[in-house]
Amino acid sequence: MDIQTFTPMIKIMHPHRHFILPSRQKIMVNLALLLFLIPSAMMIITPFMWMITSSLKERGSIGEPPYLYPTTFDFSNYQEALKDTPFARYYFNTTIVAVAVVLSRIVIGGMAAYAFTFLKFKSRDALFLLYLSTMMIPFYAIVIPIYLIVRDLHWFNTYQALIVPRMVDAFAILLLRQAFIAVPRDYIDAARVDGASHWSVLWRIVIPMSLSTVLTVAIFSFLFIWNDFFWPLLAANEDKMRVIQTGLQAFNGRYNVEWTYWMAGTVIATIPPILIFLVAQKQFVSGLARSGLRG
Amino acid sequence: MKWRPILLRKRPRDLPTMFLFLLPSFLLFAVFSFYPMIAAIRLSFYKWDNLSVAPTFSGLNNYIQLFSNDRFWTSLRVTFLYTVVVTAFSIILGLVLAVTLNHRWLFLKSFWRTLFFLPTVTPLVAAAMVWILLFNPNFGYVNTFLGYLHIPRQTWLSNVNLALPTIMTLGIWRRVGFTMIVYLAALQAIPQEYYESARVDGAGAWQTFFHITIPLISPTTLMLVTLGLIDSFLVFDQVLVMTRGGPSDATLSIGVFLYTSAFSFFKLDLGATMSVVMLFIVATITILQWRFIGFGTSEMEAI
Repeated sequence: MDIQTFTPMIKIMHPHRHFILPSRQKIMVNLALLLFLIPSAMMIITPFMWMITSSLKERGSIGEPPYLYPTTFDFSNYQEALKDTPFARYYFNTTIVAVAVVLSRIVIGGMAAYAFTFLKFKSRDALFLLYLSTMMIPFYAIVIPIYLIVRDLHWFNTYQALIVPRMVDAFAILLLRQAFIAVPRDYIDAARVDGASHWSVLWRIVIPMSLSTVLTVAIFSFLFIWNDFFWPLLAANEDKMRVIQTGLQAFNGRYNVEWTYWMAGTVIATIPPILIFLVAQKQFVSGLARSGLRG
Repeated sequence: MKWRPILLRKRPRDLPTMFLFLLPSFLLFAVFSFYPMIAAIRLSFYKWDNLSVAPTFSGLNNYIQLFSNDRFWTSLRVTFLYTVVVTAFSIILGLVLAVTLNHRWLFLKSFWRTLFFLPTVTPLVAAAMVWILLFNPNFGYVNTFLGYLHIPRQTWLSNVNLALPTIMTLGIWRRVGFTMIVYLAALQAIPQEYYESARVDGAGAWQTFFHITIPLISPTTLMLVTLGLIDSFLVFDQVLVMTRGGPSDATLSIGVFLYTSAFSFFKLDLGATMSVVMLFIVATITILQWRFIGFGTSEMEAI
């Protein structure tokens, strides 16, 4: 019989026994597993350690000492990276773009998902499929015409160039629709009978009842923009309009020898996504697993 | 008369709402997805390698040019190699990690899971920066570490034979956590009865793994393979940051080739032709995925 089903019985018979019984065996099994897990974990964290250690070294002493863990704690690299380069500016730009994209994907996506869930109209399912079909278009396949549209609008090096082509996402609509379907129809019918408009039903009933999915959409949209590289590289190459990832890439040429600054900047760019992941792990993992159906 | 819910009745006054609710998303999709796709396909039949001159129709000429271009075949080969290696290794390692973390007696499960997942949330460009430093021939940690094992120093990213494998290690490092999480969900969805009856029948750990676990998670494997193929096929960020396709095209992925052709040399026609080829390949993989395993898979809902 399985240990887990067996323990309650032992617990009744001998209140402390189940702690003693499997413990030696458990420890042996754990040791065996650790023999595999620790080397694997070392490979995973080595890049993080090297990044942090390098960012704390004194200027000009990047290779020395050649240890993974920090021996000096020179935080001036962080001050310099934020002061010397427009790094604060990159942060600010990325935040503006990310917030705008998150809001629009929730508002515009929420409206579309509402129509697809609660309103009946001709060829609704066909239109929904048409929306979903955009998920399998790789960005590379459409980047050249988008580049030309943005050029003709004279939008290069503006926020709208970074925001507008990203404002709607079929995957967000799909996730929101899945959440909206779970909202009981009675609530909506009752509100409608009381004379509430669809707009207020969406914001007062449907969205508040789907907050977990809304949060998932917000997190994924934010991280998408935070990590985005290809489009900002084309749309905004003026230094004051760079975003965090293209700014990092620009370090590559400008601070070729100043590795310590460079790594400080990299640490700064890496912190927000990791923090978001650690804080909202549950939303994160469920959203990621559902993104399995993304092409 | 049968009662019908209000919203299912024909309600002409919902039409304006429907129109207004769908208008913004439809316009954005039309301008930034549907039109560009058609425009890219159209452009692939035109000659346009100079932005200041109007495009002229050239039939299949761009395709002929592309398919007779050696660099295109090099980029296909590089991308194919990268895709196969990264997808295979991340799936195998992810499965081994998931099985280990799924052991019912392992302590600190969520700690390990979080740790292995960290690379997946690290921005690619940032990771590529760290890779440049890790694999620096003079003071990178990799050469230092290999020195302890008496393995001679390598030049990694500037070595024609080692540059692509170095970029592959980043791809695998970043993808393993994702496959692990997805496999963990699939493993937890397997009913315990299967394992109990296998134990009763006297099956060993290996037999149980190969005859019960592997077949039961094969839909997940198939999904991870198609996702991995698409994801790795579009590899761009890390290559552009680390090598820009060099040394001597050893790491020239299709994405980087497209980028340099279209936006460094402004051969937009050649770029558009490559776009169409990429669209064709990715759409084929996606449609195969949807056909074989459906749009989403049920075990994914378990998380």
